[in-house]
Amino acid sequence: MKYVIKKFITMLITVFFVSFFVFIAFQIIPGDPATAMLGTEATPDEVAALRVKLGLDRPILVRYGEWLIAFFFGDMGKSYSYGISVKEMIGNKIPITVTLTLMSFLMIVCVSIPLGIYLAEHKNSPITRFIDGLNRVIMAVPAFFTGIMLTFIFGLVFRLFTPGGYVSYERNLPDFLYYLLYPAIAIALPKIAMTVKLLKSALLNEAELDYVRTAFSRGNTTRQVIYKHILKNALIPVITFLGMTLSDIVAGSIIIEQVFSIPGIGRLLITSISNRDYPVALSIISMVAFIVIFINFLVDLLYKYIDPRTEG
Amino acid sequence: MESIKKNKKLMAGIVITSIVFILAFTGKIYTPYDPNEMDSTAKMASSSLEHLLGCDNFGRDIFSRVISGLGNTMMIALGTVGMGVALGTIAGAVTGYYGGLLDEILMRFNDALLAFPSILLALLFISLIGAGKYNVILSLGIVFTPSYARIVRSEFLRVRNLDYVSSARLMGASDARVMFVHILPNAYRVMLSTIAIGFNNAVIAEAGMSFLGIGVQPPDASLGRMLSEAQTYLFVKPSYAFSIGLIIVLLILGFTFISEGLEEI
Amino acid sequence: MKKKFALILLVLLTLTIVLGACSSTGKGDSSKITIGIAQDLEDSLDPHRAVAAGTKEVLFNVYEGLMKPAPDGSVIPAVAEKFEVSQDGKEYTFTLREGVKFHNGDPVKASDVKYSIEKIAGMMGDKPRISAFSLIEAVNIEDEKTIVIKLSEPNMELPYHLAMTNAAIIPESNKTPDTVAIGTGPYKFVSRSPQENIVMESFDDYWGDKPFIKDVIFKIEANADTLVMDLMGGSLDMFKHMTKTQVDQLDDNFRIYEGTANLVQALYLNNKEKPFDDIRVRQAMCYATDKEGVIKLAFDGKGVPIGSAVIPAFKKYYMPELNDVYTYDVEKAKELLKEAGYENGFNMTITVPSNYDPHVKTAEVLVEQYKKVGINAKLELVEWNSWLSDVYGDRKHQSTIVGTDPSSMTARAMLERYVSDSGKNFVNFSDERYDEIFKKAISTVDDEESTICYKQLETILTEKAASVYIQDMAEFVALNKKFDGYTFYPMYIIDVSKIKPAS
Repeated sequence: MKYVIKKFITMLITVFFVSFFVFIAFQIIPGDPATAMLGTEATPDEVAALRVKLGLDRPILVRYGEWLIAFFFGDMGKSYSYGISVKEMIGNKIPITVTLTLMSFLMIVCVSIPLGIYLAEHKNSPITRFIDGLNRVIMAVPAFFTGIMLTFIFGLVFRLFTPGGYVSYERNLPDFLYYLLYPAIAIALPKIAMTVKLLKSALLNEAELDYVRTAFSRGNTTRQVIYKHILKNALIPVITFLGMTLSDIVAGSIIIEQVFSIPGIGRLLITSISNRDYPVALSIISMVAFIVIFINFLVDLLYKYIDPRTEG
Repeated sequence: MESIKKNKKLMAGIVITSIVFILAFTGKIYTPYDPNEMDSTAKMASSSLEHLLGCDNFGRDIFSRVISGLGNTMMIALGTVGMGVALGTIAGAVTGYYGGLLDEILMRFNDALLAFPSILLALLFISLIGAGKYNVILSLGIVFTPSYARIVRSEFLRVRNLDYVSSARLMGASDARVMFVHILPNAYRVMLSTIAIGFNNAVIAEAGMSFLGIGVQPPDASLGRMLSEAQTYLFVKPSYAFSIGLIIVLLILGFTFISEGLEEI
Repeated sequence: MKKKFALILLVLLTLTIVLGACSSTGKGDSSKITIGIAQDLEDSLDPHRAVAAGTKEVLFNVYEGLMKPAPDGSVIPAVAEKFEVSQDGKEYTFTLREGVKFHNGDPVKASDVKYSIEKIAGMMGDKPRISAFSLIEAVNIEDEKTIVIKLSEPNMELPYHLAMTNAAIIPESNKTPDTVAIGTGPYKFVSRSPQENIVMESFDDYWGDKPFIKDVIFKIEANADTLVMDLMGGSLDMFKHMTKTQVDQLDDNFRIYEGTANLVQALYLNNKEKPFDDIRVRQAMCYATDKEGVIKLAFDGKGVPIGSAVIPAFKKYYMPELNDVYTYDVEKAKELLKEAGYENGFNMTITVPSNYDPHVKTAEVLVEQYKKVGINAKLELVEWNSWLSDVYGDRKHQSTIVGTDPSSMTARAMLERYVSDSGKNFVNFSDERYDEIFKKAISTVDDEESTICYKQLETILTEKAASVYIQDMAEFVALNKKFDGYTFYPMYIIDVSKIKPAS
């Protein structure tokens, strides 16, 4: 329990660090949202008036405090560019990015864990060697390149999906999921390769330890040994890796969304940063960071559960 | 030396990486054509003896652009890794060795940095300092620092209470000496394979950023940007995109082999 | 356990394949059109506040003024049925059209017209949204069908200004025009999703010819590199601003329309920034620019080179001879640079908005051309909003490449930005004679005299090398063969109501 509380406090401090860091960063970004909003024909007076209206003329710390408190009560302010509430805007997009992330995460887990076990069990078979080789190549292909190739092969040659034909989940859920399938594959592929490699070598390492030999000498079968003893220990580094991967997947989706023209958080983030739509960019970045921090917190707890030796 | 020769993965990695390096280095001093020179008569020319990979929409020689872009990508990756390792080693060494409040603060900061997806953070930096080759190095260097710091720190945590370190300290060695002369060399193997992986991450990140248009600026060639431009010509000239993709894959593959080979020593 | 995983995987795969099979793409459906646009509507939906050409291009379908532009460049009555102008050119009497309705079903009343015009003219405490509207002294309601606009000075161009999207008639009852779009146009606004799309639907009670296509989706296509893929894949039916190179990648499922972009594309030089404060350097830049080369390399030979700030579509004012003042001449450029003391060239920065692919491509070619005279140019790609605030607003740039469009079909709209104290003068051009002639040009009622004045202004811009004018870009419109009837305007407009299903 003490461990949980300690980790929780650590998490809060990190949240504080991150939000402050991001908030300050947005104050230094060159360019003025008031000018950006009013466009080319605005006079200096109009700009000044708008700055006051937006509260941009008050000290930084005051604005940070207000923003943080409001954020935790779910009030993320209004978008400068669109005049609608940020919550409403992000609320629409978060399900898209979350679905994409979960889909690729699910693929990674569902493919790499059985595959890793299989490869460790048959470490000398030709299939294993072939997959090992393939793995290394897949690891080397950046997600956006995979994305382009998938678009070309499945979208334009075989016409299995319509490139750029994103369907909103509110309109048609199956179509939406189907469209996300390809970008999810593009994100998942290199991560699957890495996870398989990691799991396989962790399993093989564990297998050489003394306790495993003891287990064998007691007459257990290979399968029993793997599932009862080795897997639990070998999963520790894999869980750490998967925890870290999740933030990579979110990052990957930012780029992949550009390749597949998906109007998720990534696209909104890039445009809002360049449009200096601070409330939107700030909310998205903080949101993503908080989610990642929270997941890391969960991973820490899981870690402790599997391997009680872990030092705080 | 013998052990390196027997290590097939390491050898394969070194061979692939050397080829890519030689290509990139050649690209810096000699290219068959000026990579930026345009020729209206050679627009979208297909592969021939004159133009190995054909020409792009401005009539620029794609092969020349690929190897010159490779050079830019490599330079950025090297710069990024160099910066990340330098900063990360110092931060990791100090925090791992001394521990205490400083460790707590720096590690919190580290966690904060790690909490951002790397591209997101790089994006944030780029919006602060503007796009361009050197800014990409700067932002990616900072973004990758925590991962090195973490590894160095854990290595220091593991080693700092071992006998030989205590004895070195008893013999009156200064903290700096203990840290960098006695402990750090023990961390080199873990570091080396991390660096190889880090190099790959840097290549992918740079290509990704240039792909988004916030990396290397035109007219300079960059693998990511060229890949993005090549999308328009996928049907007419798939070789354009694929040759760029291939060179990125080779670059990364080489370092993957090296990293795996190092782990086996 | 392994089997379980394999099973889960199998289920997932089958599920996705089934999902894929179920999804119908709705090919051949021509009651709905998806049109790609390069940028989102950045501004509010209030037509009076729209600044970016890309916004007005879309809103054109929702809003109308008393007048509206016609494809031939003239203006035709819209919300008004007809108008009369008094002898002295200071009083316009508009008769409102019978049966014009707003999208919310309310009929257009004289009070709505008065409200709209006064709002645009800044008579409600705001700044005038259209500079020519500062002439408006009063808007009077004569009766339910008649509106009189009184001017402080005579002006013959008022009907043109009234045809701008910025001069749209909106209902007085709509208190939130920023987010709720109600107009009188052939299409009514349904919804918008930031960075995704804008949805419109044909308006059944439209006073004029009913539009052919019921549902219209403007899809934001931020990435120029995936444009061709999306058209070929079928997720887009139409895209307006394409280059020859892009169009050449498409298969024969598309109808291609060729027209002009109606933009003055130029390398705009900051006349206050060194070394461009020296006229010799600016002239040298003009000589060092091979416009034909740019058009050949970046635009496959399609485009009309220009020599001043007026586009060829304005036939009355356009002077083709100005294009021959600075013919491509490297030696002459070097000579001028030497005279100005830049014998060894200099370094310069060209700022380009990154979302406009044609300008980026042009910049890449220019960098190569300037190397020949020893000028080392560097590109700086910026986002559109940074460009608006830094380059256009604060004028912090050395040079930039964009296309400027006429916001109304008048020479004034093109040439006003070079007046010393104009808010749009982002090149910091300053010339006393220019300012004088401009004043004369806009105040005269005599059409012939004003035309002469405008032509003088154009010539001054060329002689003083205010900037390096490049071309009026060719524009290619790709339209899926399911549809037909795309119509060009000499302005930056997409008129969806003219597009019909192919027979």
